[in-house]
Amino acid sequence: MDNETQEKKKKHETESAADLERVTDYAEEKEINVTDFGTVLANLGQKSNKAKEKERELSQVKILKEDVELIMTEMEVTKDKAERVLRENKGNVVEALTVLVNS
Amino acid sequence: MPSSQPLPPKEKTLFNRILKCYEQKQYKNGLKFAKQILSNPKFADHGETLAMKGLTLNCTGKKEEAYELVKKGLKNDLKSHVCWHVYGLLQRSDKKYDEAIKCYRNALRWDKENLHILRDLSMLQVHMRDLEGYRETRYTLLQLKPGQRASWIGYAIANHLLKDYMVAFKVLEEFGKTQQSQDNQYEHSELLLYQTDILVEAGLHQRALEHLEGNKDRIVDKLTWLETKGDLFIKLQNLDEAEEIFTDLVYRNPENHRYLKKLEEIVNPSTLEERLQLYQSVTTVFPKADSPKFIPVTFSTGSTFQNLIDKFMRSQLKRGVPPLFTSLKPLYSDPEKVRFITATVESYISSLESCEKFSEADEETEPPTTILWTKYFYALHLDALKEYEKALSVLNQSLEHTPTLIELHVAKAKVLKHLGDIAGAVACMDEAQSLDTADRFINCKCACYMIRNDMISEAEETASKFTRENISVEEYLKEMQCMWYEVECANAHTRAKRFGEALQKCHEVDRHFSEIVEDQFDFHQYCMRKMTLRSYVKMLKLEDSLRSHRFYFEAARIAIKVYINLHDEPYKPGDRKTIEGESSMSSAELKKLRNKQRRQERKKAAQEEKRKQEEKANRKKQQQQRKNDDEGDTKKEEEFQPEKLVSVSDPLDQAQKFLVPLELHCYNRFDTHMFAFQIAERRSRLLVMLRALLRAQKAASNGDLAELHFCKVRFAKKVCDTNGVSSAVNDVIGKHFGNIYGDVGLEEFNQRFLDENNDSLAHIYAGSKAMYHLDNAKKDEALLKLLNFSTETKNVTIQICEDILTSLRSKLVYGQVPEDFLKDFTEKCRDFFPRACSFKPPGSTVTAKVNGIDHCSAGDPTNTGDIAMAEISMESSKADEHKMNADQNYDTSETIENHCSNGM
Repeated sequence: MDNETQEKKKKHETESAADLERVTDYAEEKEINVTDFGTVLANLGQKSNKAKEKERELSQVKILKEDVELIMTEMEVTKDKAERVLRENKGNVVEALTVLVNS
Repeated sequence: MPSSQPLPPKEKTLFNRILKCYEQKQYKNGLKFAKQILSNPKFADHGETLAMKGLTLNCTGKKEEAYELVKKGLKNDLKSHVCWHVYGLLQRSDKKYDEAIKCYRNALRWDKENLHILRDLSMLQVHMRDLEGYRETRYTLLQLKPGQRASWIGYAIANHLLKDYMVAFKVLEEFGKTQQSQDNQYEHSELLLYQTDILVEAGLHQRALEHLEGNKDRIVDKLTWLETKGDLFIKLQNLDEAEEIFTDLVYRNPENHRYLKKLEEIVNPSTLEERLQLYQSVTTVFPKADSPKFIPVTFSTGSTFQNLIDKFMRSQLKRGVPPLFTSLKPLYSDPEKVRFITATVESYISSLESCEKFSEADEETEPPTTILWTKYFYALHLDALKEYEKALSVLNQSLEHTPTLIELHVAKAKVLKHLGDIAGAVACMDEAQSLDTADRFINCKCACYMIRNDMISEAEETASKFTRENISVEEYLKEMQCMWYEVECANAHTRAKRFGEALQKCHEVDRHFSEIVEDQFDFHQYCMRKMTLRSYVKMLKLEDSLRSHRFYFEAARIAIKVYINLHDEPYKPGDRKTIEGESSMSSAELKKLRNKQRRQERKKAAQEEKRKQEEKANRKKQQQQRKNDDEGDTKKEEEFQPEKLVSVSDPLDQAQKFLVPLELHCYNRFDTHMFAFQIAERRSRLLVMLRALLRAQKAASNGDLAELHFCKVRFAKKVCDTNGVSSAVNDVIGKHFGNIYGDVGLEEFNQRFLDENNDSLAHIYAGSKAMYHLDNAKKDEALLKLLNFSTETKNVTIQICEDILTSLRSKLVYGQVPEDFLKDFTEKCRDFFPRACSFKPPGSTVTAKVNGIDHCSAGDPTNTGDIAMAEISMESSKADEHKMNADQNYDTSETIENHCSNGM
């Protein structure tokens, strides 16, 4: 390759490096004015507690340790997952496995 | 909370200087200041200084020392948010994101409102897709800094990603109110379009439309504005307005299929005439546009179709458009249309030959190029109909006529490949390549064919014409993430049983995907600042399903296959030299092969040496460059060692790792579940096998049923053979057994399958394997079935014959197979596929001469192309390249914006 193109390439490389630098450069942003910030946030509302209730219900289902272990080895899932499926199927290990097999 | 080890003012200033140096990447100075503090015995154990020293060292590549120092610093000052933050940054730089998040959370315990930490934490959370956490953090940031626009946008995005569309919209709306004085119109325009997208996603079409209308003047991307508005009118069933917009869009670009089809959807023509009329009217306005002429060909039938296709083909052939066949390919699923195309092209050729006209009734005579392109099309047409020999003779005729047309050579290579003559195909491709050495597409094709013919070093040589000079081809292509190349190499290595090398390539492909996921990190901050939010959200969605890409699938397929193989036949060091097939060679041949291997090794060593030296020189140069800005990061990823990969102790776990993304992203593919089945089978996990079987059954197409059958038999056998299955597992299996096997015994089940499908080689093969699997004593009967195919039999392809041959040789499927039988089977295959290299007797030299036309030898550097080549072929080759490019080859960078490297 001749010198000229190489030089050009070099120049191009430094330029793009500089561009890259600019991209990642952190620039403090200018402030904006917000008039009624409080009302905005208040309007957004909070999430309902429905999901939490379901969690509580599930956690009350009785499950057997050996069932959890069986599901873990047979289906190669984590303990959390095994417990959850078992709870969702009211502690019935055959049902839980069937659900997993059909998933 | 202040640190438990406060520094006096003088040291405090020094410490602040360390922070500043770190931010400005002046690592050497930073270390100097750290030393000044630590050398004072009073502060030798100052936690924050130690931590910062560690972080600075990490940037100069001293990772281990860095961890040591940071941990020590943290121990000395557990209640310092600085120490925790530093530890988090260190973990982040090491890509341990989960740990980093924990560190940040600890840091926030000691300084709840530290903006810096909150921002860093939010980036990690969105990167790890902890969206709930992300929203929480962004909420805190918004409360703390409502004056910054990033606070608003970040919180809106978090809500959008969690599908809380209205919250996202309202936040942006409030934010928009503060943005009245515009200094950047485009950014504002993007923000407004992003808001529209959110409304559309929420299903609020009317509001989205109002939003678009209300901001018409502020949205500068007029095309998107029009397209979105048109789509919304359709969704709202406001068809008059929609028609107006899409007509407008068709005027802007009459080649856009989407616009044309939407317009048709809106007009909703009730008869075929009306439908044709619609496209006709577009053609009247834009007589040069191809799309409105082509689309009617796809839906019309009978004489209308004949009329239209005739016109379409004539105009394209006259202009010499090489990808005509590619355009027409969608029609080939309709046998009647194919029949008509065959008849039409044949009549063109005969009358062009006799009187240089498309048909004798024509007035206009055609230039000689027309017949050339017509024959080229005819050959591709025949190839698609699997009439390879006929296609070959058409191509040979044309080549005698015009030996410089690159397309013809490429087409010939393709036909030869379909005939199994990969060596001949390589010769053809190399000829094509030599005709235009500046054509990158042909160069790639040629390299690809070479690898398929196990000529990796030749392929490298070919590819080197387009790679950078002072770096090895392999290195360069890896750097450029040229994945088709790596996948093809992995395939070639697997064929040659160089499993370590194959795995190395697969892991490299996998790493490319990890790198692409990694690369999104910079964009979390960047996109928010640049307001390219539409693209940002699109990118996040793309990254989420990145490994659904076919290159990942291919690499995973090979890796899983190899790992399973390594499980079945564990690797023994020293195995490498005795490659299968060598045993059948004569001593002279063996000697030749050894010599060749030795030569290659020497060459490789020399290259390696050269590369090392160059690297050294490069490093020196780089170091000089960095004189002023300290040492750069010298961190480098560990390279994959073939020897190490091939001798892993847990090949099945390794295979499983490649499988996980497939189960997530390629759930609809039959093969995914076959891999899962094979892994589970070897781990004796009956229920996982069953799950894979059920999933495979759902995903199976007609062509997969044979393999599915074999898996069913293997599963049932495994169940029978396994002792001590727990009753719960038995119950679950029992629920499905009847559905899968009916009420017959296993042998009977297999026999029925064989009887019902004795007209398909794929099924015969599956049944035969199952027969041997169920009863090893029936080996002879099972093997004989494999010879039981004729020209009447379906599914006799080169691929399946090669598969059978491989399994006969491997000993894993049928045990030891008699030499005689192997010979018989190979001979039978040779009768069917006389040109195929795979079935040639061992030792027969592969000829590069095909049908009397001499091809130049591979990699001949003197052949630099015919300057006098017809101009037409040059231009058309570019057009063709464009079209073909779309479906294969070149780098994968198209997958992601920022990966716009020009990798091969």
